[in-house]
Amino acid sequence: MKIELLFPEVCGLYGDAQNYEYLKKSLPDAEFIVTDFLSTPYFFEKDPDIICIGSMSEEMQRKVLDKFRPRKDRINELIEKGTVILATGNAAELFCEKIEYITEKKETEGLGVFPLTAKTDLFKRYNGKVLGECDGIEIVGFRAQFSFIYGDNSDCFFLKMIRGDGINKESGFEGMRKNNLMCTTCLGPILPLNPLFTEYIISLAGGSEKAAFREEAMSAYEKRLAEFHDPKVKF
Amino acid sequence: MKKIRFFIALMAAKLARFLLKLLGRNASYLPGEVALKISKDFLGHLKLPETVICVTGTNGKTTVSNLLTSILAKNGYSVTNNSFGSNVQAGVAAALLADSNIFGKSKKDIAVLEVDERSSLLVYPYINPDYLVVNNIMRDSIKRNAHTGFIDYIISSALPEKTKLVLNGDDMITSNLAPQCKNRTYFGLDAEKPEVSEKPFLSDIVYCPECGALLESEYLRYNHIGRMYCPSCGKKSPERDYLCTDVDRENSTFTVSLKGKEHTFNLINDNIVNIFNFTGAIAILSEIGLSVSQIEKGFSQSEIVKSRFDTLKAGKLDVTFIMAKGQNPIACARCFSYAASIQKENKLLLIDIDDLHDNINESESTCWLYDCDYSYLADDSISEIIFTGPRCRDQLLRAVLAGVDKNKIILEPDVSKAVDLIDTEKYKDVIVLYELYRQPDADKMKIQIKNLGEGTK
Ligand SMILES: [Zn+2]
Repeated sequence: MKIELLFPEVCGLYGDAQNYEYLKKSLPDAEFIVTDFLSTPYFFEKDPDIICIGSMSEEMQRKVLDKFRPRKDRINELIEKGTVILATGNAAELFCEKIEYITEKKETEGLGVFPLTAKTDLFKRYNGKVLGECDGIEIVGFRAQFSFIYGDNSDCFFLKMIRGDGINKESGFEGMRKNNLMCTTCLGPILPLNPLFTEYIISLAGGSEKAAFREEAMSAYEKRLAEFHDPKVKF
Repeated sequence: MKKIRFFIALMAAKLARFLLKLLGRNASYLPGEVALKISKDFLGHLKLPETVICVTGTNGKTTVSNLLTSILAKNGYSVTNNSFGSNVQAGVAAALLADSNIFGKSKKDIAVLEVDERSSLLVYPYINPDYLVVNNIMRDSIKRNAHTGFIDYIISSALPEKTKLVLNGDDMITSNLAPQCKNRTYFGLDAEKPEVSEKPFLSDIVYCPECGALLESEYLRYNHIGRMYCPSCGKKSPERDYLCTDVDRENSTFTVSLKGKEHTFNLINDNIVNIFNFTGAIAILSEIGLSVSQIEKGFSQSEIVKSRFDTLKAGKLDVTFIMAKGQNPIACARCFSYAASIQKENKLLLIDIDDLHDNINESESTCWLYDCDYSYLADDSISEIIFTGPRCRDQLLRAVLAGVDKNKIILEPDVSKAVDLIDTEKYKDVIVLYELYRQPDADKMKIQIKNLGEGTK
């Protein structure tokens, strides 16, 4: 199995970079390709089984999009082929039609995979928790963001929410999904936080390995899951 | 009209302060909030002290502003300071109005104001500080501070051109702040240069801010703190006007070159982060005109606030208490690194760093653990780790993922029971790391450990 980690040196805010480490520990025999921002992504020409990209600054979002936009067709080709692509935090927004930066009075064209718009306001920080369901697996996660995504994702969501907000405060569906492209506003360590989801991702890419440190990860996951279901715990 | 509102605000705030004091309550925030509710630009109408120094940055604000306040006071200056209160806009207002007369004129010589980075836009445009000291800008609370680009943006947008900046020259983010402020001086450390710099666990600046090329480093001490340069456009860490050239740990002194002449000062604490803080403090004290002997006197009579670093002897047990800032991955990693470096072998760590408030009818976001370098805890000198608190299972997972042997780890969700797990037969050296807001836990643990060590339990 080949796994490409995109730009961890700049797209690894909020613990996102350790998602990769968790995959590495879970897949000791896989080949990991770490691509820095100044290099050409492996996926431009070749076929990795899993691609990961994490949270970044707003300036970096614009730079990453400038790099990706000319290869929009290739990205769509990989999505159609069923390559597993996991975009966490505001990397999810790259796949929208447009990102508007309200504070900086800028906007940038996205990859347009989903007919949605992200709006970023640096003076409005949102923090939240996520309890949602993806293919029968309960996912727990945390969010911290300046942005919300607007538009209808009811037929292309990543999670059906059990508790917590969706792509915006009015939505009951979090993130976006098309085939195995999974975009979630949950922050980076979504994999160590969700060992069952980690195993699900591995299985989508054709593997059968178990999540690393499964016992410890399941114990933390189950405790959190119980807390997130507890109505006393604020969301 | 604005003036009238200001005077009403001032009177209301002073009344609120008087009543709070009468009730024996904390008056370091609420009076400021009352004033700002009535008069939004309240800070702009106050007649401030002759010199206003603001201190900001991710780590070390409180240490530096406490130290400045204490050294200035020892040299006969009267000082307004908010470090024991709140460092947001209302805290700054509360501190300033407490020391002003009924016309809003300050009764003090100098204000030393610790300012939360996120309050920059609400504070600097109104009080126009004469000096701003910035220790460092690095990854901090995910929930509140987002990322360093955001912090850079708000501090830089808020500062008036006339403010003189006193910046950490060994921090490429800090040293590039607010280019509109032309009057700037830098401090840094040359002592104990690392011979080999390992690739840091994470760095908040990787590419050149001028040309976007990959930055290289002469050396890095931790994260992005060190000397960097761009091989493409020639941009580099700035020359430092105040430079710590030597640290003598045995004799507890450190040497700082001030305008080309070297002077030795009492080393209050030998943690590298604090040596940066001390050098920054010397830089600003010198900038406002204190003589070397005045600064030396200040350092010789100062100590670091006990609550941040304390030691205790309990029977056979030697115990060190270190306050760690939860939700702040780099500050916490610094504490892990320090804990790994002190006392050479067979030590036990008791770690109580879960957020207090985020675990009361809440479930703390543990994303920050993954930005914190737990590999320090894999150090051979650490024989056992007790993780205590509601998130101890998450701590365990994070630690094993960083390479810590799981057989070394014990979990105790109930903080009040953690001390009972210390095996006094096996361990003599114990280090307790506790979260900033968990001081009451630490106080209770001190009593429990005393009883345990002295065999009275
Ligand atoms: Zn350059």
